[in-house]
Amino acid sequence: MGGTLRRHQGAIALWIAGAFVAVAALAPLLALVSTTEGLAIWASARSWELLARSLGIAVAVTIVALAIGVPIGVLLGRTDVVGRRAAWLLHAFGMFLPPLLLALGWFHLVGSMLFNAVGLVATLGLAFAPVATSLTALGVMGVDAALEEAARVTARPWRIATRILLPAAWPAVALASIVVSVLAFSELGAPMFLRVDVFPAAVFARLGGVDYAPGEAFALILPVLLLALAVTALERRLIGRRSYAVLGLRGGSRPPLQLGRWRWPLTLACWGIAMLSIAPVAAIALRAGGLSDALRWAETAPYNSIVTAGVAATLIVAVGLVVGHAVARRTRGAAWVDALAVLVFVTPASVLGVGLIAVWNRGATELVYRTLAIVVVGFFARYAIVGVRVVAAVVAQIPIHFEEAAAASGAGYLRRLGRIVLPLGARGVAFAWLLALVFGLRDLETAVLFYPPGGEPLTVRIFTLEANGPERVVASLCLLQALITAGALALGSLLVFRRARA
Amino acid sequence: MIDLDDVEFGHGDGAVLRGFELHVGTGRSVVLLGPSGSGKTSVLRLILGFATPRRGTIRIAGELVSSARTILVPPEERGLGVVFQDLALWPHLTVRDNLTFGLADLAEREQNERIAPLLERLGLRAMERRYPAELSGGERQRVAIARALALEPRAILLDEPLANLDAPLKRELLQLFRELFRERQATVLYVTHSLDEAALGDDIAVLENGKVAQQGSLDELRAAPSSDFIRQLFS
Repeated sequence: MGGTLRRHQGAIALWIAGAFVAVAALAPLLALVSTTEGLAIWASARSWELLARSLGIAVAVTIVALAIGVPIGVLLGRTDVVGRRAAWLLHAFGMFLPPLLLALGWFHLVGSMLFNAVGLVATLGLAFAPVATSLTALGVMGVDAALEEAARVTARPWRIATRILLPAAWPAVALASIVVSVLAFSELGAPMFLRVDVFPAAVFARLGGVDYAPGEAFALILPVLLLALAVTALERRLIGRRSYAVLGLRGGSRPPLQLGRWRWPLTLACWGIAMLSIAPVAAIALRAGGLSDALRWAETAPYNSIVTAGVAATLIVAVGLVVGHAVARRTRGAAWVDALAVLVFVTPASVLGVGLIAVWNRGATELVYRTLAIVVVGFFARYAIVGVRVVAAVVAQIPIHFEEAAAASGAGYLRRLGRIVLPLGARGVAFAWLLALVFGLRDLETAVLFYPPGGEPLTVRIFTLEANGPERVVASLCLLQALITAGALALGSLLVFRRARA
Repeated sequence: MIDLDDVEFGHGDGAVLRGFELHVGTGRSVVLLGPSGSGKTSVLRLILGFATPRRGTIRIAGELVSSARTILVPPEERGLGVVFQDLALWPHLTVRDNLTFGLADLAEREQNERIAPLLERLGLRAMERRYPAELSGGERQRVAIARALALEPRAILLDEPLANLDAPLKRELLQLFRELFRERQATVLYVTHSLDEAALGDDIAVLENGKVAQQGSLDELRAAPSSDFIRQLFS
């Protein structure tokens, strides 16, 4: 390799990774900006009412999720609650499943009383609470041990938690609130099942449903794009790099805070929430009575899910390795790619879906649009941020001196990345892949707008059958979805968390 | 060998170094002495190419490697060896792999020829298959210096490598460094805030207010300090 090329390996790699993100993510959003067709829909009060309702639901869901997740996160992350790891695992499992599946489970448990906005907020609040729990727990675990130990000399656990741990971990909590509100606003399956009219459903109906009017669908999402830009700006201003500086588990190991006489009551509270989180999955399993129906009705859907999520996760991690490393090391230009990935993630899935259709639904790109490749493109665009931020968090924990020593030893960018960064951050990178895989597996709202004929992922199969299919079959498919996710998580965890050498 | 001329460097609006001049001749050992926060590490990072000067020039063996706001030669092409304060031994590589990492262009036989005498000289022969976590503090220091020397660098830069060691081990390693540098006639820039380590250098450059206030041998600095700060430092 020529000397000049070698010197610019890092910049070239970042350009290539940035180009991937731009083609997959920026192009769809730019395609929408030029839309003028169907703007008359905004003259109707109904459109504004729908937008306001969806925003209201997203805010309410975020409040419920934080109200549950933040205290439980502190308890599971830093106190001596009995069986906290197991409780965390049970509680968190639900966040890796599509909320539609949880809504179906709750329906089997509590019946039709769920069919209103309050039921939707409760369902989604519980579904997304583990996001707040996990980010808060990781945040408080990552607080510098010295800060906590200095407080332990003078204060009781509750005071340490509220005055030291939570303030130090606030970027993690802020990140949780953004992630939950974005997921709640984008949610399509659960609101449609619970008969609550929301914004993404209106967009969906205009693209493939009874109100078919693609021009109006394009027009509908324009103000939401502005909202997404505002959320991105907020994320950059309030959180930005702080999120992964906090989430990097710098804290090291230290004994948990002793809850004393509160230990058992709070243990019960944590396990109660964990049981509540897993209850809808148990209800689904009971209703399904096995997998025989799923195996007859699933057709190629499980294969489609696993292949598209797997390929997308691999791409996400490859691009995330380059961009995440550049973000952590403050390489010029990396912040722009990161911001773009954030923008696409906070943009409601319906908006991204419409944009992807606008870009790829044409003769020249039929090979992508008519095959599973379009689902991979969609997953990559929406979840690229997972790879970028997880790798950034991992790289931020690797002392820069390791790379500098390698550079001083004559190693160029690619060699440093391959021989130093990748081996040292292997478990974190594998975790990023696992997370991206699970995000792809649980996705409904992105893929439902453009999945190719015969290429529907399992979540879409459940969504379409839910309307007219036999209840037992739908439950069986949901059980299959839960088992695939559990299998992926178990297998991934074995690889990611197996004991590290030295 | 290493020449910094009229270098300015800082973070934000402030300047850590201003009008900074330093010259390290071939085969000479220079100790850069200054209090914590005086910019010693910044000097090393500028020479290594990890930081960019706002103004001024940096030359290595006569070649212009950095000028105002520009890195002209990247770190991996400067031919320097470095020992960081935290040593930065790669924890996933064995002692042997740490030493041969920078010798990737050489055949295995040549790599062996290069590192065998170093392992022998530094008493690391029995440890070449071990990982850094399996070594004592003193052994890690020796691996770090061996890794830097294995490159046969044009100059070797050390950033307070003995800062966190107890006194006996520090004395032992200082003696080892002195012998190694003399044997190899190495060009050395050694950064420290400790007077104990200053004796390692042929010359001592005292850093004060972002500049080298005075450069000379230990005896010269003691005999004719150019400022009150230097007088107090050596009193």
